[in-house]
Amino acid sequence: MRRTIISPGRRSELSLLIFSTFVSVLGMALVCVAMQQMPLRALRVTAVSAGFILTAMLLQVGGKSRDRLLLPCASLLCGIGIVVLWRINPDLASRQILWMLLGLSAMVGIYLLVDDVRDLAPYKYTAGAVALGLLIITMVAGRESHGARLWLGVDGYFMFQPVELAKILMALFLAGYVAEKGDIIRASMRPGVFLSGFKHMGPLLLVVLFFLGVFVAQRDLGAAVLFLGLFVAVSYLATGRKTYALLSLILFAGGMVGAYYLFGHVRQRFDIWINPWADPTGNGYQILQGLFALGSGGLTGVGLGHGFPGTIPAAETDMVYAVIGEEMGLAGTLAVLLLYVLVVARSFDLGMRARNQFASLLATCLGVVFALQTLVITGGVLRLIPLTGITMPFISYGGTSIVVNFIALGLLLAVSRDAVSEETDPKLRDGRTD
Amino acid sequence: MTDYSPNIRKLLAISLWGFVLIALVLGYWQIVMAPALNASKYNQRQSLALQRIRPGRVLTKDGVVILAPQRQDGQWKFTYPAGSDFAHLTGYAPRTGLQYGLREPLYGMGQYADAWRDLLAGGPTGNDVILTINSTAQKLAEEELDGRRGAVVALNPRTGATLVLASAPTYDPAEVSSSQEELDLLRFDPNVPELDRAVQGLYPPGSVFKIFTAAVGLDLGLVTPETEFRCAGTERVAHTRVKCRILSGHGTLTLDKALWASCNIAFAKLGDKIGIDNFIEYMKKFHLLDEANVGLPSKKGRMYDFRGFKGDAQLALASFGQGATMLTPLQVARLTAAIANKGHVLQPYIISQVTTPDKRVRMKGQAGDFGQAVKPETAHTLAGMMQDVVEKGTGRVAAIRGVSVAGKTGSAENPQGPAHGWFTCFAPVENPQVVVTVLVEGGESGSESAGPIARKVLEELLETQNR
Repeated sequence: MRRTIISPGRRSELSLLIFSTFVSVLGMALVCVAMQQMPLRALRVTAVSAGFILTAMLLQVGGKSRDRLLLPCASLLCGIGIVVLWRINPDLASRQILWMLLGLSAMVGIYLLVDDVRDLAPYKYTAGAVALGLLIITMVAGRESHGARLWLGVDGYFMFQPVELAKILMALFLAGYVAEKGDIIRASMRPGVFLSGFKHMGPLLLVVLFFLGVFVAQRDLGAAVLFLGLFVAVSYLATGRKTYALLSLILFAGGMVGAYYLFGHVRQRFDIWINPWADPTGNGYQILQGLFALGSGGLTGVGLGHGFPGTIPAAETDMVYAVIGEEMGLAGTLAVLLLYVLVVARSFDLGMRARNQFASLLATCLGVVFALQTLVITGGVLRLIPLTGITMPFISYGGTSIVVNFIALGLLLAVSRDAVSEETDPKLRDGRTD
Repeated sequence: MTDYSPNIRKLLAISLWGFVLIALVLGYWQIVMAPALNASKYNQRQSLALQRIRPGRVLTKDGVVILAPQRQDGQWKFTYPAGSDFAHLTGYAPRTGLQYGLREPLYGMGQYADAWRDLLAGGPTGNDVILTINSTAQKLAEEELDGRRGAVVALNPRTGATLVLASAPTYDPAEVSSSQEELDLLRFDPNVPELDRAVQGLYPPGSVFKIFTAAVGLDLGLVTPETEFRCAGTERVAHTRVKCRILSGHGTLTLDKALWASCNIAFAKLGDKIGIDNFIEYMKKFHLLDEANVGLPSKKGRMYDFRGFKGDAQLALASFGQGATMLTPLQVARLTAAIANKGHVLQPYIISQVTTPDKRVRMKGQAGDFGQAVKPETAHTLAGMMQDVVEKGTGRVAAIRGVSVAGKTGSAENPQGPAHGWFTCFAPVENPQVVVTVLVEGGESGSESAGPIARKVLEELLETQNR
C-alpha cells in the first residue's frame, strides 16, 4: 500500500514559492512599519525567497522528477524566521539571510554533486567516525559560550557547532548500518526471546551510549535527547520490536536520574521545569517570560512588531516559538507547527516510497531528526518537558543549524530524485508531465 | 529485502500524536491560561507598553509647559521644564502627581485612544493636557510660601476652575527623578515636601469654619447679622467649656461683629441652636468633607460623629472650627467659593482641555455640580459680613485699594505645636472672580502669616485673570 500526501507538480511548486514570498514580504512590511523603519527594507527578505525560486530552477538540471512540497514549506518557514528575527534584532536577521543563502548553495551542491543518494551508503562508518571525532575535538578544544563548550573554530572569524553537523552524520551512519545489517538482524530475531538480535544491535547501542556520555559531559542535554530519540526510532525501525526502545528509554531515565543527583545544572533544569514560580525573577524567569508571551498572544496575536521579545532571554534561538506565539497568536504557532508536520510527514512518506533500503532509512532518519527537534524545543517552550538548548529548524538564529537543515533538505530531495520510482508512482509521473 | 514501510508508518503516527499534543498544550497556554498569565505580577507587558507611547505635554492655562516628554535610552520619559514651583502638580515619577491622574489622556488610553492617528504619527502618541492653573500666580504663591510649610489654593468661584494649587516646602522634580540620593533626601525630609498640603494636608480649620456655621444659621432663619449674642470670655455651652480669644469677653455683640471680631462663644452658641441634625444636613449639602477631584491623590475631610458620645459638646466646638474637625485647604476654598457663587457648590476641576497632537480639542473640563447648599440671599448676606471682616475686623491685612474683598481669618489650635494660620477670601464681592485660601502651618495668627500671602495672590489673579 503506497499512498502519498499531496504531491504538487512543478508549476504548483513555483506558485507555492511565490505565495511564500508574498507572505514573507507582507510580514516584513508589517514589522518595518511597527518598528518605524523604511518599509522598503522589507524587500530584503526577498533575497531568501528569490534564492528558493532560483534553487528550485537549478534543481531542474538533469530533468529528473523530485519532491515538490519540501522546498515551499522550507521557504515559508525561512520567511517567517526572517520576519521574527528582524523583529527581534535586524542585524541578526541580516546575517541569517546570508546563512540561508549559504545553506541554499550547500543544498544545491549536495543535490547536484551526489549523483545517486545510494552512493553515500558505503560512507556510513566514515560519517559516524567524523561525527564522533568532531564532538571529541569540541570537547577538548572547543570554545565556551553560555556555559557549554559547544563551539569549534577561531574566535571572530569562523565558529560552528559540530553537534548540528553530527545529527546529519549520525542519520547517515544509522541508515547505512541498518540498511546493511537489517536483514541479518531480522533473520536472527527469535520470537519471544528477549533481546534477540543483540549481536548486531548491541554495537549500535554502545555507539549511542558513547555519544550520550559526550553530550552529558558537554552539558548539551538537547543533543542527548535528540540522539537518544533517533536511536530509539532506528532500533524500532530495524527490529519492529519495542524491546530496544524500552531498553534505551529505561537506560535514559536511569541516566537522567543519575545526572539529576550528579550535576547541578541538570537538577536546576528539572526544578525550573517542575515549578518555575519558585524563582520567577531568577531561574524561572526565561520559561515564565515565554509563557507570558504565549498568553499575551492569545488566538490571533498582538500583531507583528507589537510584542515584547526583549523580555524573553534567548528569544532569537531557543525561545523563538514564544515570540511567534505573542505576535502571531495561536493561529501563527499552529501554522508553523503544521509546516513542520508537512516536512516531517513528507520525509516519512519518502521513506515509505523509496525503492532502496538505505534511501528509505535515510529519509526516515532525517524526518525523525526534524520531528524530534521541533517537538523537543516546542515542548520545552510550552513547559511540557524541561527546556533544553536546541534550535527550531529554519527559524532559530544560528549559522550551523541553518546550513545543516538545508543539507538535510538536499538529502531528502536527492532521495526523492533517486530512490522513488516514478514508474510505480503516478503522482511523480504526473509531476513530470506538467 | 525487508520492507520498512509498516514500521515507518507507525513512527509517523507516533510523531503526529506528538504534534497533536503540542497543539493542545499551545491552546492551553494561549487560550485557557491566557487571562491568568496576563494578570501575573511578574508580567511586565503593561508597564512596558506605556513606555512605547509618546506621551503628551501638560501646560498651564497661560501656556507654560510643566511636563514635557523626552526620549531617553529608547524610552519616553518626562522632563520638568517649570521646576519646583509646579512639583506637586507634575510629581517626579510615573505614579506621582498628575502623571498618574492624567495618564489616560497623556498616554492616549481609553476614550482618548486613536489607532489611526497613531499610525499616521509614526507611533502611539498621547494628548496634550492644558490645566486651568495660572502659572504666574502659582509661582508667586510658591515664592511667598518659601521657607514655610503651607498651602495656597485659588479657585474661580463661577466656573470651579482651579487657578493655584501650591504646597510648601517643595522640591526639584528633575533632581528627584534622576538621582536616588535626592529621592532618599525627599523621602526622609522631616518637613515632608512630598506631601501635597493643598489636597492631602488635613488641618483643623479654626475660625475660617465660622463661615459654615454662619451660613447654616442664616439659611435656617435662626439668626440675622443683627442677632445679639453674649460673650463672657469663658462660658459653658452644651456642657463643655468654651474659651474666647479675648479672655475678658466681647460682652454683647451682633453676629456680624462676632464674625469680624472672631468670637468663639457666639458661634458655639449658634451651633448649639442649629442642632445636630441640621448641622449634618448642611455638611452634606456643602459636600464639606468630599475629597478633591483634580487628578491628584487627595484626602477626605474629618468631622466628629455628632450622633455619638457627647455629640452636642463636640458640635459646639466644631461650630468655631475646633474639636475633631479636619479639612484640607482645598475643601476650605471650595466652601468659600460656594459662598462667593451665591450658595451654589462646585467641585473644582483642573483640566481645562485635552488637545490631540493634530490640535483638535478632545475634551473640555468642567466643574462637578454639587447643587445649591444655601439660598442666594444667605450667601449674599454672609458675603457682606465677610466684607466687614476685611474692612474693620481681623482680615484688614487683605484689603486691596479699589477692590471689595470678603474674607475670614483663622488661627487653628493645634495640639502638636503653634496654631496654624488660615486666611480664606474672595473678590470682588459684587462679582466674585477669584477665591484664595492660604494655610501656614504653625503660622500662629492667620491675619499675620496667611493674610499677606492671600492678598498678593488675590491681587495677582485679579490682574492676570482679567487680561
